[in-house]
Amino acid sequence: MDFQTLVKILRAGRVPDFHPDADSFAYADALDAQDGLSHLREQFIIPTRTSLKKRALDGTVPDAPSPRPRTNGSTKSSHPDKKYGDDDNDPSIYLIGNSLGAQPRAVRAHVDAQLETWASLGVNGHFTALENSPLGASWQDLAEECGRKFVPIVGAASASEVVVMNTLTLNLHLMMASFYRPTEKRHKILLEWRPFPSDWYAIQSQIAWHGLDPATSMVEIQPDADQYLATAAILAAIDEHADSTALLLLPGIQYYTGQLLDMARITAHAKARGVPVVGWDLAHAAGNVELRLHEWGVDFAVWCTYKYLNAGPGAIAGAFVHERHHGRDEPQDEDGEAKGSSSVWGAGQFRHRLAGWYGADKSVRFDMAKTFVPTPGAPGYQLSNPSAIDLAALSAALSVFGQTSMAALRDKALLLTAYAEHLLGKSLPLPSSSGNGDAAVRPAFRIITPANPAERGSQLSLLLLRPGLLDRVSRYLVENGVVFDARKPDVIRVAPVPMYCSFVDVWRFADVFRRAIAVSSA
Amino acid sequence: MVDARQRARALDQSDALASTRGEFNIPTRAQIASSRLSDPGPGAIPASPHNFKLPSRDLAASGGCVYLCGNSLGLQPKRTPARIGQYLATWAAHGVQGHFKPLDDSPLPTWVDVDARAAELVAPIVGAAESEVAVMQTLTANLHLLMSAFYHPDINGRHKIILESRAFPSDHFAVETQLRHHGLTPETSMVTIQSPFSEDNVLSSYDIMSVISTHAASTALILLPGIQYYTGQLLDIPVITAFAHKHGIFVVWDLAHAVGNVPLSLHDWDVDAAAWCSYKYLNGGPGCIGGLFVHERNSLVTKAVTDDKPEEGYSNRLAGWWGNDKRTRFAMANKFHPVSGAAGFQLSNPSVLDITSLSASLEVFALAGGVPTLRKKSLTLTAFLESLLVSAMSADHRALFRIITPSDPEQRGAQLSLLLSPGMLETVMKELEARSVIVDERKPDVIRVAPAPLYNTFSDCVEFVEAFSAALEAAKGAKGG
Repeated sequence: MDFQTLVKILRAGRVPDFHPDADSFAYADALDAQDGLSHLREQFIIPTRTSLKKRALDGTVPDAPSPRPRTNGSTKSSHPDKKYGDDDNDPSIYLIGNSLGAQPRAVRAHVDAQLETWASLGVNGHFTALENSPLGASWQDLAEECGRKFVPIVGAASASEVVVMNTLTLNLHLMMASFYRPTEKRHKILLEWRPFPSDWYAIQSQIAWHGLDPATSMVEIQPDADQYLATAAILAAIDEHADSTALLLLPGIQYYTGQLLDMARITAHAKARGVPVVGWDLAHAAGNVELRLHEWGVDFAVWCTYKYLNAGPGAIAGAFVHERHHGRDEPQDEDGEAKGSSSVWGAGQFRHRLAGWYGADKSVRFDMAKTFVPTPGAPGYQLSNPSAIDLAALSAALSVFGQTSMAALRDKALLLTAYAEHLLGKSLPLPSSSGNGDAAVRPAFRIITPANPAERGSQLSLLLLRPGLLDRVSRYLVENGVVFDARKPDVIRVAPVPMYCSFVDVWRFADVFRRAIAVSSA
Repeated sequence: MVDARQRARALDQSDALASTRGEFNIPTRAQIASSRLSDPGPGAIPASPHNFKLPSRDLAASGGCVYLCGNSLGLQPKRTPARIGQYLATWAAHGVQGHFKPLDDSPLPTWVDVDARAAELVAPIVGAAESEVAVMQTLTANLHLLMSAFYHPDINGRHKIILESRAFPSDHFAVETQLRHHGLTPETSMVTIQSPFSEDNVLSSYDIMSVISTHAASTALILLPGIQYYTGQLLDIPVITAFAHKHGIFVVWDLAHAVGNVPLSLHDWDVDAAAWCSYKYLNGGPGCIGGLFVHERNSLVTKAVTDDKPEEGYSNRLAGWWGNDKRTRFAMANKFHPVSGAAGFQLSNPSVLDITSLSASLEVFALAGGVPTLRKKSLTLTAFLESLLVSAMSADHRALFRIITPSDPEQRGAQLSLLLSPGMLETVMKELEARSVIVDERKPDVIRVAPAPLYNTFSDCVEFVEAFSAALEAAKGAKGG
């Protein structure tokens, strides 16, 4: 079956029946040959085994990975995997883009351009856009420029719904300060039972800031035994608490299991039940899956940029604020209560927020007036002038997204992850360690990411089913050039991302993993 | 001016800190006026990550410009590109491992430790213990985070916030929106300090203390600038802090223009909290990650997470995982329990790129011997500039401007603010720029000139005054006056 046919099946929400040859290297190689995005891999720096082992800086960076492995026609051994990847200078199998994306080559050029701009222009860099600069904007316009690039990535209606600023957790606080305005009747925040800890702490501390009690105002939505958050359970929780809920805040993709939530349906249901604000933490979703935040009616969303967006560790973050909140008039709910709290301020009413000078309209920002007139839309939530060099790195990373589409990335991602799951399925049996004839074969691991392709992104979370397996398997994977994430005590997360991972990467990972399990169980 | 030039040369030659200028990339006259990046030559993408080169300079225009704008955006330390190159190389080689894996002989810490390293470098600059400082976020964000933690108004008790009437607008907006979060309004709860005597709104400590006295019983918090952005006035931080404390008021200082400019002893002065940005005198780069200070008495954590009601052991603050104890941070528990100290106010993992840029610059401060050493030169430098403005310019020109910064050197930092006659600003700025003199303007009539001790010279001051005279002359002519 060819690439496009497989993708079609996956898009229809079905798991394809892979060809019996699918677990051959040749099959993986053939998929790579059909991959329309394979050229993007060269635009990244993938650590090699050599570079991963570095003990000191030596002035080199890994070479550009070729889109497909070098096949020299002759095999050095009978094992197909020895054709490629055993050289320590070959790219590692970098499957941790869900934690820290690989470095786009463009980052160096953009960062150098920013350094040169600062060194050459000094303070004038705020207002001068150098003609031939990859940055494409003066410093005061850089954030807006990046915001524009986000429009197709998050499905905003326009750049005024997007703002690039701060860090994820701070943006979450700023959104909550504006959108979580509890009243005696509506005070609850609905969240999932195990959000990423930062979200938990943020929610808890916001509630406390209002003088309320997290024990009564935080409502956790419980998963089932497999840590799966059923949509039905989420909708039921919404139904139960709708009248007293001020905010529903969920992750677009759950960080631990990799489950992709039905953002469209959940948002619609919550709004229909009168939940005034629906917010999404898109840390693991932005750049990973297709988002249509405007169309879905999402009130606000926040995300970081160092995972699937590849901007570098801790890089400047983003936020979305729906157009319906940009205007001056606050919608009323059926009780006549203002759904948000606006302020009569200087030039007119706008939604309350924690403000700073950079949220003021550019045209008046430097007037030093004491009347806060925010830029309409998400940019009005900015506090301080942002880091230009951080924006330079981000703009470089986003320029790669500009060469493709989320749809094309998602097509490949669906297939990569499905292929990974298929191959891993071959690794399931745990060889019996005793030779005593006990024929029962127990699985060594279980995939706790939903099997439905529509309910996951790139990531697969593998739950190891024997104590101690995680350490041994991890060591073997590391020795064999796999870069992945281990969640103690027993989960491995791997994310073959479409931008720079190949089907051969997935094949090699499955091969190494199979051996890792075998060796660790011996 | 000949005499002035000679004096300047002599002062530059005997300046013990003259060598620190060599640590910075000073824009040339050609560069500062440029509209293009240098054209990359063949092989321009360097194989070596350390290889950052400024474009070759046009010899005719190769003189450095006169950059007296470090109060607005500090210049780039030469080592910054090298450090950033090292960071990019680490990310490229190690990917995610960069968080934890140390490299031998690398000047860079592992990424999980970059915040601690930066705090270590900033602490002596603000006069605090390392545990009292966090390098994080931005100035206004930090003000909000501090006020969210420490401003707990009671409309029937203490609810007011005092700030100056000419606060930098961001401070004003921050205070106002904090009030509104609590359902208060500026009318009920914002008190601004205006000088009853000074038309330039230079605030005496007495002015400030009288306002404090008047509102003491109903005031919760006071927010003041260590150095006022407009006039350049340096406030008496210890005296005002002590006075506010006598009246039970929580004291927050905005140190945007003070940090790296004047010596600070935040811990000894008993300051409650402070925040700053890093792109002015700290030379971290435009919009570079900022910082905050929390006095150790305000950041105690007196209970363990396993104790009963652990949340009563620390002051509530807007929280995030990076404020959690590092040892348990990755354990993913559903319980926020901050580490004691300023680090407990952090929210997110910081931008390693940004913090690398800042830390590179802070190395230069250490090299130079710290802020007190820089201050010695700064006092002389700014006094020299002032003396030129006062006595080396023609009477005609002197009539066209007034220095609104206090003349007492202990009441100012590096900056002098010059109030021009109305209608001259635009022409003066244009004329200065045409002569490659870079200063900062505050519409409608003020220019700010800040000779930074790390990289400015006494000769820079002379060049400024010469250019300024010419500019005033041109502006005078333009006005037809």
